[in-house]
Amino acid sequence: MDFDAIVVGSGISGGWVAKELCERGLKTLVIERGRHVNHRTDYLDFSAPWEVPNRGMVPEAEVAEHYAVQSQYYAFNSATKQFWVRDSEHPYSTPTDRPYNWFRGYHLGGRSITWSRHAYRMSDCDFSANQQDGNGVDWPIRYADISPWYDRVERFAGISGVTEGLAQLPDGQFLPPIELNCLESAFKKKIEQEFPSRRVTSGRCAHLTEPTAEHIALGRGPCQMRGNCERGCGYGAYFSSLSATLPAAHKTGNLTVVTDAIVERLDYDHAKRRISGVRVIDANTKQGRSYQARVVFVCASSIGTAQILLASQSEYFPRGLANRSDAVGRNLMDLVVGIGAEGTHPGFLDRYHYGRRPTGFCLPRYVNLTEKGDADFLRGYGFQGYSRRSSWERAEHEAGVGAELKERLRMPGPWGMRLIGFGEMLPRSDNRVTLHATRKDGWGLPLVHIDCTHGENERRLAERANRDAIQMLVSAGFENVRPLGEGKPPGHSMHEMGTARMGRDPATSVLNGHNQAHDVQNLFITDGSCMTSTGSVNPSLTYMALSARAANYAADRLASGEM
Amino acid sequence: MLLGAVLLVGGGAALTRFVRRSDVIAGGSRRGFNAEQFALLEQVCEVIIPTTDTPGAIGAGVPAFMRQILEDWGTENSRTEIGSVLEAVEKRAWSKFGAAFLELAPERRLEVIAALDAERIAAKDPAYSKFKHLVLVGYYQSEIGATRELRYELVPGAWRPCVPLSEIGRASAV
Repeated sequence: MDFDAIVVGSGISGGWVAKELCERGLKTLVIERGRHVNHRTDYLDFSAPWEVPNRGMVPEAEVAEHYAVQSQYYAFNSATKQFWVRDSEHPYSTPTDRPYNWFRGYHLGGRSITWSRHAYRMSDCDFSANQQDGNGVDWPIRYADISPWYDRVERFAGISGVTEGLAQLPDGQFLPPIELNCLESAFKKKIEQEFPSRRVTSGRCAHLTEPTAEHIALGRGPCQMRGNCERGCGYGAYFSSLSATLPAAHKTGNLTVVTDAIVERLDYDHAKRRISGVRVIDANTKQGRSYQARVVFVCASSIGTAQILLASQSEYFPRGLANRSDAVGRNLMDLVVGIGAEGTHPGFLDRYHYGRRPTGFCLPRYVNLTEKGDADFLRGYGFQGYSRRSSWERAEHEAGVGAELKERLRMPGPWGMRLIGFGEMLPRSDNRVTLHATRKDGWGLPLVHIDCTHGENERRLAERANRDAIQMLVSAGFENVRPLGEGKPPGHSMHEMGTARMGRDPATSVLNGHNQAHDVQNLFITDGSCMTSTGSVNPSLTYMALSARAANYAADRLASGEM
Repeated sequence: MLLGAVLLVGGGAALTRFVRRSDVIAGGSRRGFNAEQFALLEQVCEVIIPTTDTPGAIGAGVPAFMRQILEDWGTENSRTEIGSVLEAVEKRAWSKFGAAFLELAPERRLEVIAALDAERIAAKDPAYSKFKHLVLVGYYQSEIGATRELRYELVPGAWRPCVPLSEIGRASAV
């Protein structure tokens, strides 16, 4: 055996698995399909606006030719372009009338560099939702199973937030919060008066407000409130694989990382019921090679992982590895986004904010929970948002030139607020990732075909979220209130999930309650594909907790000789 | 083919003619704009953001930024759109005052630009929006615009969620 363990992918999930396995003494290989990235020196975080290429704008022709999908993501600009794939080099197919936005980057650290860093726990409202309304299959775990692992990953990652005592958004091990600004505080007060079943709290985020000794030992420092976090942070103030988990894994002496290695397939030895090898293609030379280990974790992202499993067909698994259930690639989900509302506020004109904080506020789910009303849909949505005073950019849409304009823009504009909805998406088996029958990528691997739509429940939920957002802003004294939109195509929240779901029954799910494949004992999957339902909060913290939990389970089984 | 139809009346011929990139390279002149066009661009930008107690658009390098961005960032379509705004300025100068924009006194220049701005903003004209956007980005995201006209710190070091505006005194550039 080359290694004790192989981890495919170096993003949030893969980084956590690598750290935990290395710290348990296992010789671990991380395989990353993209290029190497140096923490700090490869970031443009110390560039002032006038130093960033084209002031942040990616050339129009380059966007059209190479970034038709990626450029739709808010964090895409000339200072982050290196962290997004070229769509022209990494195509995927969808039915023409059913777009799916697959935002991704192929490089060490994956999307842990560009994530929005919001970090929330799921609750038993979420883990029991499928069982209660009969959609999808039941999660094989409950909150009590994952709670200690949330504690563990929060302490290490460093999550700032306020303890609230809410059942639907459990508290965690928090660093001091990043405080609400004037208008957000007033909004909180007003909303909690008008709607006693709703709460507004600081956005819980993976930023070090007060680093612990453990954080400092890894070279991480406190958040400097610079903003533009998606460029990477040389202070290591937010959690990423490059600032936190991979350095911790490296310290053990047990970590090996190979980059530019695209996993082609996993080989399966039916006699031993085990993965016998991981075959990769060198991204640059296109030469093939293979690695062996006692246990394999696939953390290639929900769509990437489905692609690898489906491509790993064998005599025993003709539909793809670990896919006796036919659930691999199915039940693709993403949070419903592109909904909510915005408005301006006439007050607080003598007040301002200083610094560029990395978060805003969170207004957790209440619909069908603390408010059991007349909803004509299942599950629910929460909101995240922020308030700020506008600056010079407002003049683009306001008439005015000359000294008058300059004088006016010298002072900040009115306060504005955005309430951004995050809706739960139900699992549906026909929302699906498959391999394209004929088209191949530049390495000869079948293209991913994504066929995924929102259903009636998502549409009704989005409509109600807009209505609520407008109502809350109006009741809090906002003007010029308008909806943000009617929802973006699936994929737009960059939270793809569900393509290798956990479940109790091997006939209807891919993974057991420890993220271990029902069908292959030395195969674990801990990225978003394991998710049995989406919940209504950003899922990354849950991937971290499940990854740490599964890695330690696998280490236990290896140590006891049971695997 | 000339990019941007020449719509001039009277004696200002070729002032707003846009030059193809290949022509420019072959001719070795300023990229994207010829000398006359660049002179017009400079003065239009300076009218939109004039020199006051802080530098204006020219002092902050906005025209040079526009020239660079149209070459490095913009497509031909964008170059044509920006050219069309300059043409509209020139056309309005002739129709209103019977002279080229560059021959007008400062208050008349302001009158031309203010009228065009009000009209095009009201109409949500995409070409004008792009033009104004680039002028604003060029100024307020320049070092002079961000740090002398407005306030910008690379490393704020702290988040102060609710401070008297008078303590900060000006808008933040980012």
